[in-house]
Amino acid sequence: MRLAIAGKGGTGKTTISGSLARMLARSGRDVLAIDADTNPNLAIILGVAPQQAQQLLNLPLDLLERQTDADGTVRSVFTADPEALIEAYGVTGPDGVRLMVMGAVGHGGKG
Amino acid sequence: MCRAHAAVRGFVSEMVARPARERDLIIDMEAGLEHLSRGTGKDVTRLLAAIEPYYRSMETARRVAVLARELGIHNVSAVANKLRDDGDREAVREFCRAHDLELIAEIPYDAGLLEAERAGSTPLDYNPASPAMVEVQRLADRLVGEGSSH
Repeated sequence: MRLAIAGKGGTGKTTISGSLARMLARSGRDVLAIDADTNPNLAIILGVAPQQAQQLLNLPLDLLERQTDADGTVRSVFTADPEALIEAYGVTGPDGVRLMVMGAVGHGGKG
Repeated sequence: MCRAHAAVRGFVSEMVARPARERDLIIDMEAGLEHLSRGTGKDVTRLLAAIEPYYRSMETARRVAVLARELGIHNVSAVANKLRDDGDREAVREFCRAHDLELIAEIPYDAGLLEAERAGSTPLDYNPASPAMVEVQRLADRLVGEGSSH
């Protein structure tokens, strides 16, 4: 399943996301949790150790390549290998949940 | 759109649209749903809008639901959280009814979550039998059950 969880800050969406992720993993499923919040704290709810959480890296910026179609239209195309990114930028927490943090990418965010 | 934002959006879209293998994806995102692009909404199995039983929170969830449907996400559901009493339950039920939102979980207010945080633990490790965790487990079981029937 591919679930997105959203809501106003403070509603407990991260508690829900993180707990759901671990429960699904405990039932034997392969789970990738993506923290796409500009105030990322999914690692805490997942129980990822602080020193492990520090190893989490933000995604590099050069994942998209500008390609020009035959008719001259310029498009941004995703060229990176997602599995390699999960391997390189994620950490594995309790119950085997793989976590990736997208980083603070809102306006004024780093990058 | 800045490059970092575009990169993240590209990655999330890629993960949603082309899952490499049998893998569940749980994306914790902001209310603006900026990380989903229009084309990939249809590949999101379900969007859960977390709501608390007060107006601004429910209003945010309503906007999230509108955005989600614009992105092509077919299943949009509300998950109510921090419910203290029957009045809270009735408030979220009423709101969801009025805005055509399926309410798929009613998580009670649970003081144990704060205790877990104070103890440097997670809600699930601190007390998996706490009222909130029991309801989240029920939600997890339901989602798994739905997935296997499709």
